[in-house]
Amino acid sequence: MTNLALSASGITKRFGALVAVEDCAFDLARGEVHALLGSNGCGKSTLCKVMAGTLAADAGTVLLDGHPTTFRGPLDARRGGIATVYQELSLIPTLTVAANIALGTEPAGRLGTVDRAALRTRAEALIGSVGALAAGLDPDALVGDLPIDRQQIVEILKALAMAPRVILFDESTSSLDRAQVDAFFALVRRLQSETVSIIFISHRMQEIFAIADRVTVMRNGTRVGKRVTAETTRDDLVSLMVGGRHERGTRVRRDNDAAAVLQLQALGGGRLSGITVALRPGEVLGLGGLHGQGRSEFLLSLFGAFPVTSGQMMLAGQPHAPRGPNDAIRAGLAYVSGDRGRAGALHGRPILENMALATLSRRGGFLARRGALAEGLTGLIDRLKLKFGKLSHPIGTLSGGNQQKAILGRALAAGPRVLLLDDPTKGIDVRAKEDLYALIRELGAQGAAVILYSSEDHELLENADRVLVFNGGQVVEELSGDRLTEFDLYSAALRSAA
Amino acid sequence: MTDVMSRTRVLLAENPVLAIVIGTLLMLAADEAIAPGFASARQISGQLTVAAILGIVAAGQGLVILSGREGIDLSVASVMSLAALTVGNVMGGDNALTLPALGVSLAVGVSARMFNGLGVAVLRIPPLVMTLRTAGVITGLLVVLTQGQTSGAASPLLQGFIGQPFLLGLPGILWVWVVLIAGIHLMLTSTRFGFNLYAVGSNDLAAELSGVRVRWTRIVTYGLSGLFSGFGGFCLLGYTGTVSVGASEQYILPSVIAVVIGRAWSWW
Amino acid sequence: MIARPGLMTRLRRNPISLAVALLVVLIVVNALLQRNFFKPGIMLSNLTTFLPLMMIAVGQAFVVKGGSIDLSLGAIVSLVNVVVVVIAERVGGTGGVFMGMAAGVAAGLACGLVNGILIAGVRLQAIMTTFATSIVIGGLALRVLPQAGGALPAAYYITYGGWVVGLPFVLIVLGVLVGAIGWVGRSAFHTHLTAVGANRQGAYQTGLPVARIRIMSHVIAGGMAAVAALWIPGVTGAGDPLMGQAFTLGSVSAVVLGGIALSGGWGYVLGAVLGGAILGFINNIIFFANIPYQFQSIVQGVIILLALAAGIFVSRKPG
Repeated sequence: MTNLALSASGITKRFGALVAVEDCAFDLARGEVHALLGSNGCGKSTLCKVMAGTLAADAGTVLLDGHPTTFRGPLDARRGGIATVYQELSLIPTLTVAANIALGTEPAGRLGTVDRAALRTRAEALIGSVGALAAGLDPDALVGDLPIDRQQIVEILKALAMAPRVILFDESTSSLDRAQVDAFFALVRRLQSETVSIIFISHRMQEIFAIADRVTVMRNGTRVGKRVTAETTRDDLVSLMVGGRHERGTRVRRDNDAAAVLQLQALGGGRLSGITVALRPGEVLGLGGLHGQGRSEFLLSLFGAFPVTSGQMMLAGQPHAPRGPNDAIRAGLAYVSGDRGRAGALHGRPILENMALATLSRRGGFLARRGALAEGLTGLIDRLKLKFGKLSHPIGTLSGGNQQKAILGRALAAGPRVLLLDDPTKGIDVRAKEDLYALIRELGAQGAAVILYSSEDHELLENADRVLVFNGGQVVEELSGDRLTEFDLYSAALRSAA
Repeated sequence: MTDVMSRTRVLLAENPVLAIVIGTLLMLAADEAIAPGFASARQISGQLTVAAILGIVAAGQGLVILSGREGIDLSVASVMSLAALTVGNVMGGDNALTLPALGVSLAVGVSARMFNGLGVAVLRIPPLVMTLRTAGVITGLLVVLTQGQTSGAASPLLQGFIGQPFLLGLPGILWVWVVLIAGIHLMLTSTRFGFNLYAVGSNDLAAELSGVRVRWTRIVTYGLSGLFSGFGGFCLLGYTGTVSVGASEQYILPSVIAVVIGRAWSWW
Repeated sequence: MIARPGLMTRLRRNPISLAVALLVVLIVVNALLQRNFFKPGIMLSNLTTFLPLMMIAVGQAFVVKGGSIDLSLGAIVSLVNVVVVVIAERVGGTGGVFMGMAAGVAAGLACGLVNGILIAGVRLQAIMTTFATSIVIGGLALRVLPQAGGALPAAYYITYGGWVVGLPFVLIVLGVLVGAIGWVGRSAFHTHLTAVGANRQGAYQTGLPVARIRIMSHVIAGGMAAVAALWIPGVTGAGDPLMGQAFTLGSVSAVVLGGIALSGGWGYVLGAVLGGAILGFINNIIFFANIPYQFQSIVQGVIILLALAAGIFVSRKPG
């Protein structure tokens, strides 16, 4: 009998000519929380899929409780005791919470029908068993009606439904707010006490240090290091990941007394109300607060994509009242969403088209000459450190981080006076994040103003000159100088919460 | 082996037109193998006249499909018939009325397309159902208008242009088609509208947030496809001389297939 | 706590409520135009006429819920129809009729299977594939019986129009149809079909046999088209290789009218039965309103478009 819940060795997986994972090893002790860390495209998703039985490896063995696994597909793996909580949710929006949780394992009733009462009881019991995380979740609600963070929680419940012994959490916290992450960690600790073993993937360092017992770091498809969390540091892990020394950027805050480029007076619309702020050139203004307090709406209302019903906006001394994003872009604004699948990437289209779109909108005119557009982008592409084959290749050939760079590049190429960033680093790796923020700071130095919303507090604190804290659609606090600390940010966000 | 295949795939994906040309040549070769004499010059010229009419309609269909959101227009054939019928009656075999009749055909095409666009964009009826139903209504209208008789006549000028050799032994319609295709290709690859259309078809939210006026782009696309259907009807009249109900039924399926073949090749 | 939505919201969200409302309006209008509308004989004869489209629409509903579409159902109806008539005639007698029916149903299931394998197995695009198979299947039907003709024994349509165990046969068939829909609606298969239609990737990740479920939906549709085709010679008494064509568009319209989203994964299969009835009543109304023959298809098209618009405008798919 071994102490290992799961152990993989010599795993190799190729996709055509691309080697995704090569001779990789991983071991997971019983009742352990083991973080798997690595930049996007390092092979950790592939390794997880091999361990979870959804992909067959070209070489290597996976032992579950000391026995070799021979899963014939995802359901087989779930029955075998391995559950995966996917980053791209596997939920069905048109089914209820209870039906989603039981999908594929419905309790049988009479004559081959589903026993709906048992289905509901099962869901209620599960919801009750996870404590604060799923408080108030209605088993009869349609999943499509739930906000994204609640959907993530349903996805977690679905994985728990089969009482697994090993659970893989693939960036399950990326759409949860801070209070929800705390509740999630409480659940993880309880599972741990029941000797469930957990593989935890996250790009948020502080989460890894808060919950993981050990960390395995992957780079280029193989394991480059294994650490006990208590005996390592953030900088150590990052340098393992990126494979070299890593300098932590320290932000120099300058006094800024230039005339405001964007001035808002008592702006309101939807649940936003009374927002007054002046944004100066070269400034990075952060937006803080808990999930769903109106920060995205605020950015979109500046961009003409969310209705403004009261107050005034002035852009470079002119009244600013965009009727849509087209107006806003021509006035010198640009918007980048972190939700690149839904609101960023033009799937299947060349990188060039993806990057040139906003420039064309700002410039107008009839013709769009590819050669000239590509030439205009070369400097920017260098600064973005974009890794790509050819500009004519579809955007899907890029890794997630590079796709996001290309989408940021789209906004930057239009030469905006004000850049609106809506959680721009969601789900991309540390290295790509650093590149993006370096570029944003550079842009600031050149005189553009940036409004930044990030779901990761430390990114706000490291990159913003000031942070407006939102609550219920209003700005409840402005933090700057010495008060730009995690403590102040969190307490401001919670203090006036209803 | 897989390496060669994947490289071929990339090559074809980057040059969909090349892919289609190769596909067409392969088909011709196959036809020649099955039925010797098929690929003779006269045969090919005749085939090309029909292909040109189909190609014009398919170009409009292609733009609609490109604009995304399950866009498809199964009413093209009935719109062609309606345009051909109207035009044939306007023209009445008179050379002098050829150009005004062209204007009428385009107007018929655009207004029919606008009717579809209204149902799809404003009433949000799925394009598949909307356009099939429109086709039914237009066919009904044709029955009322013609009472089942053939009517109208193409001017000799138009018939000559469509059917007789015009330049290098090829009929005029073919040259129009070549110019149109070149124009569409340029529009798609080298104009802002082309970039915007691809963006809308790929991800309309992302396009909107990048400053593309999505609704406007779709409306223009529908208008263009209507122009092509109307023009297709105009040419059809020139090809057949007169029009009866259902004369263009045979164009629905090929117009979709032509586009899907073109798209499928460029996707792989 | 999350507040439960109000009654109006729930009605709007319920995919079937609009179909019910439309049906009530149409029945009232129909009853005003057709004096003896509520007489049992008239109602049964209406039902007899509506049933084939209802059955085909139910088959279409399964396919659409699974995120696919089948434009060959009309052609399948034609093929099955001529197969039944030709075999029944060649073999002769009651045995021949049953043999023909069995062969017809087998042909329908086989067509569905081929569609399903091409779409879910080979992964061809559904609209194109079924458009193409419809041509092949239609061609086969013409080959089996080049011109309308042939006849079934009188007992065949007497049974269809008659009474069995004290009930009209039509009502029994409708009862079985609705019962079967109710039963399948409560099965795990139906939940899985919904899952595949709404989020195919998610369904695969969850471990559902996606390809098998999608193929199954096409087989069901082929089977339903076959059963509907058995019904038709019971009404017309003869075989016709071209009779199925109108059913393809009719079934898609009925499905949409019944509140089932063409994008997949949303709506009740029972809605397709109501959608079929809605189309039937529209035809009735046009007939009894004394609209001149040549205007009928225009009026019908416009009414159906308006009904579709109303349905799609009011109801919304979640997610």
